[in-house]
Amino acid sequence: MVLEWYWAGTILLGCVMAGMAMGFPVAFTFLITNIIGTCVFVVRNYETFGEFVTEAMNKVPQVVDNAPQLITSFTLSPIPMFILMGSLFFHTGLAIRVFDALDKLLGRIPGRLCYLTIAGGSLFSTLTGSTMANTAMLGSLLVPEMQRRGYSKRMSMGPILGTGGLAMIIPPSSLGVLLASIAGVDVGALLIAGILPGLVLAVLYAGMVTLQLAINPDSAPSYAIEPTTWREKLHQVVVNILPMGLIVFMVIGFIVLGWATPSESASFGVVGVVILAAAFRVFTWESFSTSLVGTIRVVGMVFFILMNSTVFSQLLSLSGASRGLVQWATGFEVAPLVILGVMFVVLIMLGMFMDQVSMMLITVPIFYPIAIQLGYDPVWFSLIVLMALEMSATTPPFGLLLFIMMGMVRGTTLWQVASAAAPFLLCDLVLVGILVVVPGLALYLPSLMGN
Amino acid sequence: MEAFDRAVGYIVTALAYVACAVIPCMFTMIVIDVSMRTVGMNPPLFTSSIVEYALLYVAMFSAPWLVREKGHVAIEAVLTISPPIVRRILALTVYVTCMTASFLFAWFSWQLFIDAVETGQLDIRGVDLPYWAQFLPMFIGFALVGAEFLFYVAGRRHYYSYDLGKVKDSV
Repeated sequence: MVLEWYWAGTILLGCVMAGMAMGFPVAFTFLITNIIGTCVFVVRNYETFGEFVTEAMNKVPQVVDNAPQLITSFTLSPIPMFILMGSLFFHTGLAIRVFDALDKLLGRIPGRLCYLTIAGGSLFSTLTGSTMANTAMLGSLLVPEMQRRGYSKRMSMGPILGTGGLAMIIPPSSLGVLLASIAGVDVGALLIAGILPGLVLAVLYAGMVTLQLAINPDSAPSYAIEPTTWREKLHQVVVNILPMGLIVFMVIGFIVLGWATPSESASFGVVGVVILAAAFRVFTWESFSTSLVGTIRVVGMVFFILMNSTVFSQLLSLSGASRGLVQWATGFEVAPLVILGVMFVVLIMLGMFMDQVSMMLITVPIFYPIAIQLGYDPVWFSLIVLMALEMSATTPPFGLLLFIMMGMVRGTTLWQVASAAAPFLLCDLVLVGILVVVPGLALYLPSLMGN
Repeated sequence: MEAFDRAVGYIVTALAYVACAVIPCMFTMIVIDVSMRTVGMNPPLFTSSIVEYALLYVAMFSAPWLVREKGHVAIEAVLTISPPIVRRILALTVYVTCMTASFLFAWFSWQLFIDAVETGQLDIRGVDLPYWAQFLPMFIGFALVGAEFLFYVAGRRHYYSYDLGKVKDSV
């Protein structure tokens, strides 16, 4: 019996969705779907139940045999490194030095802590590849101070939620590497492509803060601060900010100069953080081991999901579900932009109740063939997908960043956090619009790299 | 049961530490490899192959510890709005299914491991690696994951109790 593609797709995607809804850990949802999918689509030659069991016991080991295929890929090696960089920054106290320096640079301006969030978040995004670490660090550093200074909840949470997500597109980005690996896109090109849109997004966020302050000046009251001399400001830049350029150079510079591949440069990033921490005399073995445990917690979870989802993509393809869906989606007489819009909305909707790694694993085997068929550049399309992932992390009811913020600002509701994030989601949408109209914003830097 | 739980606990924690130790080894090897290449020396051929296998070892050696630490992400939206009896039934279904699937995968990994050892198959990469080296960590990892879920089935722990608001470092 050969199932039509839509039944095949319904069975596979239905199993994943049902498993997740029942509360199965995501990795096990894929693992169990693989067993069911193999029994449905691979086990064929049987007449009795006994024959079916025998055939299944012969075929299911193929799932185990294929599972390590994706995970034993060198392109995934930067992920633990980028996460370790973020953890080291946090645990050695280097991140706090950067923030203190930026804090001294900003004068007595209204909403200075909001601008500090955006400046610090953008800088920290270039030094670590972890969105959650970024949001957690910004939140733990700045929310208590903002509340002490009388900032409204909206003004204290919104910029942090927006800027926290910048780490997803500004290189180095762990999710960017993961997406590129799964989709077979050039990792280096995608990382570099995120630089200009990331900076534009930071400017849009700053504009949004200014607009919100103009509408409601009391939401972020000015307060007196100890004046800082120009000499002191220069000292802060030279001592605490410029040295961070070493890490940016070791990660991004090495890629651009062609000294190391994107997979290799991440390791230099870790070495760079260790060197800086040692130079500032803040490196301790305790902070290093704590960072490693934090890294394993994330990497182990993500890689275990990846391992179990490899066969899921193969089953989608084997059952004809991917091909059927691509032919169906591209068969409509509509503009490619409409299909792009539909894919974007699907990602946002999925992100309302699913984590980003699972979303990628489910949608990449379906969306990328469609995008390529429609003539979209895979690097550009990946950036659009990353934007959707970033937005989905801040949409209720399952946006992980929202929960992190709720954990930090006690006594807040999901609605309050989500409404604080809404204006910054609008900025994300504006950037997506800009990328659609001006694809060169994403593709210009990778094109230079090619030359 | 308690002694068994404690013994498994020691093993999964030790394996998690091994997974932690693998990461510095990875970046050290990569840095040495690139540095040698940059100064015109011949880097060792095994770096990429070893790093690729190391990723699998990190995943499989940390997996049982993550089950114990409730670190594998799960969506609790439906569970939280369900009545307690439905929640208990769903949780038990999850534990039993995950335990069975993990032991099944451990068994298949063991079979593949024995088969690869007996046939002497090689995995052709930068350098040829023995194929069994892929299945050994999978056997160990899945067997211990199954054992960890056994403790949930036995009611010694509950998976769905962690606070989503707790800040966890993540991707």
